[in-house]
Amino acid sequence: MAQITSVVPVAKMVGANRVIQGHGIVHPLGNPELAPAEEKRLREQILRQALESLQKEAGGEAPQG
Amino acid sequence: MRIVHYLNQFFGGVGGEERADISPQVREGALGPGRLLEQLLPGAQVVSTVVAGDNYAAERLDELKAAVLAQVRDAGAELFVAGPCFEAGRYGVAAGALCAAVQAELGIPAVTAMARENPGVDLYRQALHIVDSGTNAAAMREVVQKMLAVAQKLARHEALGKPAEEGYIPRGVLRDEFVEETAAQRLVKMLYAKTVGEPHESEFTAASFPPIPAPAPVADLSRATVAIVTDGGLVPRGNPDKIAPSAATNWGAYDITGLSDLRGQDYEVSHRGYDTRYVEQDPDRLVPVDALRELEKEGVVGKVYQRFISTSGLANPLANSRRLGREIAQKLKEEKVDAVILVSA
Amino acid sequence: MSAAGGLVMRLTLEIHPVTEMRVGDATALQGTALSLEREELRRSLLEDQRLHAVDLEIVAPGEACRFGVVFDILEPRAKEPGAGSDFPGILDPITTAGRGLTHVLRGAAVTVIDETAPPATGKIVEMSGPAGAACPYAGLHHLIVVPHLQPGLSRPTVRHALRLASVKTAVHLARAALGQEPASTEVLETAGPLETERRGLPRLAYIGQVHSRQMVAEVNEQIFYGANTDGMVPTLLHPNEWLDGAVVAGYFNMGVETYFYQNHPVILELYRWHQERRITFVGAIATVAASDNEDRARNCMMAAQQAKWALGADGVVLTKYGGGAPHADMALTARICEELGMRTAVQVNDMSRDRSAESALLFNYPEVDAIVYTGGSDTEWAAPAVARAIAGSGTAAEALAAPQQLAATRVCGVTSQQGMARLRSFVY
Repeated sequence: MAQITSVVPVAKMVGANRVIQGHGIVHPLGNPELAPAEEKRLREQILRQALESLQKEAGGEAPQG
Repeated sequence: MRIVHYLNQFFGGVGGEERADISPQVREGALGPGRLLEQLLPGAQVVSTVVAGDNYAAERLDELKAAVLAQVRDAGAELFVAGPCFEAGRYGVAAGALCAAVQAELGIPAVTAMARENPGVDLYRQALHIVDSGTNAAAMREVVQKMLAVAQKLARHEALGKPAEEGYIPRGVLRDEFVEETAAQRLVKMLYAKTVGEPHESEFTAASFPPIPAPAPVADLSRATVAIVTDGGLVPRGNPDKIAPSAATNWGAYDITGLSDLRGQDYEVSHRGYDTRYVEQDPDRLVPVDALRELEKEGVVGKVYQRFISTSGLANPLANSRRLGREIAQKLKEEKVDAVILVSA
Repeated sequence: MSAAGGLVMRLTLEIHPVTEMRVGDATALQGTALSLEREELRRSLLEDQRLHAVDLEIVAPGEACRFGVVFDILEPRAKEPGAGSDFPGILDPITTAGRGLTHVLRGAAVTVIDETAPPATGKIVEMSGPAGAACPYAGLHHLIVVPHLQPGLSRPTVRHALRLASVKTAVHLARAALGQEPASTEVLETAGPLETERRGLPRLAYIGQVHSRQMVAEVNEQIFYGANTDGMVPTLLHPNEWLDGAVVAGYFNMGVETYFYQNHPVILELYRWHQERRITFVGAIATVAASDNEDRARNCMMAAQQAKWALGADGVVLTKYGGGAPHADMALTARICEELGMRTAVQVNDMSRDRSAESALLFNYPEVDAIVYTGGSDTEWAAPAVARAIAGSGTAAEALAAPQQLAATRVCGVTSQQGMARLRSFVY
């Protein structure tokens, strides 16, 4: 499991091993200021980070998003 | 008051580590610290004492439990006492288990005492009032005195006072009380003390969470089934599973077969802890079906699991969250899902 | 005389106690009796075209009365003409708040009811009984303003209209005190980091959140000198500015009312210690809890940096706004403060519904070990029926008057996030 969250300290405190930065509490995988196509690209990019972390040993620092 | 007392081989006077294997023995009357129980509480009578070895207790706890429960029942005990155990780890774990069993199965008050560092504390602090014995066995008399005070209140079904007043180790239960000083007054007083290096007493100590073993990496993502789970409360319009917007007790699995994009008009959000307008506008901002489908098409992931799973993570008691987590993990395991993306609001 | 020379941040509060509030032919303060001519106020409020009617009710301490849903509660205050703006940025042009003379109707309150808020869970004030005894607003004489809004307005527009009505009414009432001899005068003054004659005293500061991005601030949500705080980074805000109308409660205002910005418990307590020469109150910083990890990291760092290098603080009190997530921002700020050599004390709100300590906290930094824990989750009252209830509509008032379980978190001020709570959770 990889967790995408905008409150990383809480995820780490409770012991999540693969933590990826989300893009805001109110839209962890979006940004309403972007055009739809760009917003989807942002979403895909964060997802790719999460998928990448799933293929690596956990415990290293989460990729920065 | 009729008491049954449990001691390990050492405090029972049988012997040291070389006798740690002995099986439970029932002795009539008080032994060792049990004599203090009788001395310090007028009317107290230790009917019998069960003595067992520490290794026996560690290896055959169920048998020990059965023996002790039978003895407590047969003796017509009104109180069960185990220890004090101080730092002795196996002793503490056994004493905790026995007290918990007597309390739960027989409804008879049970009391034990340990040092805070004793592993029995972490296991049984929530279930029991464990008297803080400290690490020094020379303080036996005071410790037994505190145990008796706690036991008497338990026997009378009296509410116990605060841990520091009664001498037991905090069980981690919160209770509200109105106090004279406002939070602001308490804050400034505490900060002043801390700043000038005087002792200060925090009103709360943070909990530490044990590390969670990480599952191995996914070997081949291009052949893996990936599921999306969220605690952000996205549900189909009408909230068919009635997932509560705060302290939710259930979760739902919602079909996305054939969907390449989630549309706002089909969903709503049951979560009171964040501004949900953005997700309601475009649910992919929380449950990224559109982008994950692209990655599926490209072959980055093998398959997107046909449902997304959702609950609401606001103000949820941890015990409840753990249960929800276990249930969801179990379900996904049964469904042969290989990897999970959890999106939190 | 402070080192700042002639130009000092000195706020003088002229205190006019109010022990009676009644309807009268003119709005005037006679001794400690405040009379209100309702038509004049109503006309002034109805200048706002978004309102079509306004009900005005007066409630006295101890009355068997309950009212809600509370939009906000304010203390009636008005600046002496020429001394500065009332609620700068909302009502009047922006000038520095916290200087000069302000008239205070102590013992009075203006409470605005939101007729559009869902009544079952909304904030209320209980004036009598055990819940009243715990409610810090129960001892006040309330002017209750119930604005009725034109149909079809958006929620942000409604609330902006309520905000405007609230500050207008508070100032309108307090102007009755202009020209009157005050019963007492309070002078609040600190030159903050420029204080030089207090060597050896611990230098304490305050960092308070005034909004949380878990709810996005509305464009017209006026919180900080009229601004909605969007894009705000931590900002030095003199203690007197907090007290004198620079900050008002946001719309998502769990445990926050403007009354306790005007009478900020943390700021006033720091002032008390300052005046007793036990500490130097070096200043305060207003900040917001972030939605985004990078905003959080940036804000927390900047707030701590300012406390250290702009205020030269030795210790900092921190409080939060909103719900669970802002604890992370507060704790991270405290941790950075500790790393910079400042000691900290933080106020945590009760998040543990099951009353277990393990569910309670959203951070765990060993150095953030001075925690004030306001309770609330297991405090509630079986409140009896009340003779009088005031709400947005007749049916809402009827429902509110009925006997009901009142959770502590619903009764204004009981679980205050501004430091007013006398409630505390103990670990058993």
